[in-house]
Amino acid sequence: MAVTVRIPTPLRKFTDDNETVSAEGGTVQEAIVSLQSQYPALKERLCDDSGNLRKFVNVFLNDEDIRFQDGPATAVKDGDELSIIPAIAGG
Amino acid sequence: MNPLRSVTPQPLNDEERATYEWQIWVDDHREEGQERLKGASVLISRVGGLGSPVAYELAAAGVGRLVLAHGGNVKHSDLNRQLLMTHDWLGKPRVESAARRLKELNPRLDIVTVPHNVGDDNAAELVSMVDVVVDAAPLFDERFAMNREAVRQGKPMVEAAMYDLEAHLTTIVPGVSPCLACLYPEDPEHWRRQFPVFGAVSGTIGCIAAMEVIKLISGFGEPLTGRLLNIDLRRMDFKVLRTMRNPDCPVCKGV
Repeated sequence: MAVTVRIPTPLRKFTDDNETVSAEGGTVQEAIVSLQSQYPALKERLCDDSGNLRKFVNVFLNDEDIRFQDGPATAVKDGDELSIIPAIAGG
Repeated sequence: MNPLRSVTPQPLNDEERATYEWQIWVDDHREEGQERLKGASVLISRVGGLGSPVAYELAAAGVGRLVLAHGGNVKHSDLNRQLLMTHDWLGKPRVESAARRLKELNPRLDIVTVPHNVGDDNAAELVSMVDVVVDAAPLFDERFAMNREAVRQGKPMVEAAMYDLEAHLTTIVPGVSPCLACLYPEDPEHWRRQFPVFGAVSGTIGCIAAMEVIKLISGFGEPLTGRLLNIDLRRMDFKVLRTMRNPDCPVCKGV
C-alpha cells in the first residue's frame, strides 16, 4: 500500500525539505518505518528507543487520530493520507 | 451553540451600539451577543506574536475586560510580530505597551496588566479572573499550567501555537473536548522558546483564535471543540483533524 505522509514544518529539515513523502506499508507502523528508512534522521524525532511513537507526536490517518483507532497497528490502504502533528508552542 | 453561562450580559449605550453596528448585523450574534461580549472577560497569555492580534481583535470586538499576562520589556526582536509592542516603548514593560495600544483603539476596554508570565504560582488566580482563556505562550510549562487550571475551573481555553509558516488551533472545553494533556501527554523535549516565524503567520492564527473566543462568548457557530486546525501557509494547506479525549488523561479524567 502506498500512503502519502504530510511532513510538518519542524521536521522537514530531516526530509530534504519535502513537504509530503510517499511511504509503503499495510499499517501505520509499517508506513512510519518506511518513512524512517527513507529519512533515518527522522527516527529519533518520531520514536523512542523502543521504536514506539513519542507521546508528543500525534499521527492522524485521514483526519482521525490513530490513538483512538488501533494505534500504530491501524490498517492503511492505497491513497490514504497520514498527517504527523508534533507538539509546537510558538506564541 | 449555547453562550457561556459564566457571562452576565451588559446593556449597550448608544456609542457602543454605533461602534459595533456592523457586527451586530451578524444574524446569530445581534445585540444580545454584543451584550455578552461586553460582559465577558478573557485572559491572554502572553500578548506576543499570537496574543497581540488576539487582544487587538477582542478589543475591537468589544469584549469588556482583558487580563494580559506577559513578563519582560519590549526588545527589537519583538517588533516583527508582536503588534502591540511599539518602537517608542523599547526597554519598557511589554504589558504597558500592549495596554496603551489597546486603549487607543478602545478606551472603554477594562484592562488588567500582569507583568509576569503564567506559571504554577499564578495560573489559578489568573484563570479565576476570567470567563475564557487564550493560550498563546511560547513554552510548554506555561501552557500546561494554564491547561490544568482551565480544566480544574471548568473554563474554556483557546489553544493556539505556531512554528515557521505552520500553526495549530483548537478550542478546549473541559469535560467536552480533549485537553492539552490529552493531545500531548509529555513535554516535548525538542521545543525551544525561540523559533522561526513571520508576523503575518501569528496575525493569521491570532485572528482565527479571536474569532473562536467571540463564538464561545456570544454562543454562535461551531468552535474547534474536539478538532485541531492545522494550517501550513507555505503550501496554503488547511486541515481540520478530529481529536479525542484520552480516557486516562491525568488532567481531565473524570471531568
